[in-house]
Amino acid sequence: MFFEDVELGDDIGPLEKIASDQDVIDFCNLWGPPSPNRFTDPDEAAKSKLSGPIVPGIMTMALMAQLFTEWADQDSLKDLNLVFRQSVPHNKPLIISATVTDTRQEGVENFIDCDVVMTGQESERYVIGTATVSLPSRENK
Amino acid sequence: MAMELDYDRSLYGVEHKAGPFDVTKDMVTAFTKSIGQDGEIYNDEAAALAAGYKGLVAPPTMCTLLVRHVKLPDINLKFGKARFHAGQRVQARSNITAGDSLTASSHLKEVYSKTGRSGTMVFIVWETTFANQVGEVVADVEESFAVRE
Repeated sequence: MFFEDVELGDDIGPLEKIASDQDVIDFCNLWGPPSPNRFTDPDEAAKSKLSGPIVPGIMTMALMAQLFTEWADQDSLKDLNLVFRQSVPHNKPLIISATVTDTRQEGVENFIDCDVVMTGQESERYVIGTATVSLPSRENK
Repeated sequence: MAMELDYDRSLYGVEHKAGPFDVTKDMVTAFTKSIGQDGEIYNDEAAALAAGYKGLVAPPTMCTLLVRHVKLPDINLKFGKARFHAGQRVQARSNITAGDSLTASSHLKEVYSKTGRSGTMVFIVWETTFANQVGEVVADVEESFAVRE
């Protein structure tokens, strides 16, 4: 992907991910929040008035970052700034997409600014935010 | 007009440090697997080395796992009770690879209120900077917590 290939208003994605019960357990085992918790335990989730265990915010962020590492590459994502609007459920399709809102050059670097969103199957907006991606130029190839 | 907030303002300018945290191949692999991150550089050390990286590459938000290890003080906010994780920001400065050793330094960035249809909420924002074993900043992470009336 090159900077010259991208235009204002372009769509990126969608990327569909599912965070299974086991994925969230594995993530929490690595992350280490106090247990039991609302991410893996139905009773704890119910105490928080949730309909079931939820995906942690930082795991949601890791899922959303993949939209950009798959579209461009590892080194491209410079800034991901998210607002968690609703709890993100386990075992349901999570659809991640972005829209290019600006393209700009700063010195020798080329940046793409995007609005990014994670929605559910009913278009419910779980997470919204912005991202900045750096892309190489064809001229410097 | 913004409401007057009562909390411990002496926390501004104070850095809370933690680490070092060794980034191991097992940690990168467990993180990558749990989030379903595709790509050879995240899953195959030989491919990562061949691509010019120092080792197995950590996905760009992996340092968010480590923020909770920084012991942050209570800001003694005299407002509300229900608190939740409202937002998160990662600014990636450089790649993190297996074999790196990271240190974290956190500070209170800002506390502010917003009033909307559902009432007033106060946002507490902490910023954590991660640096590697040679002092290179690899990421800045902001965590925003909201407190409801």
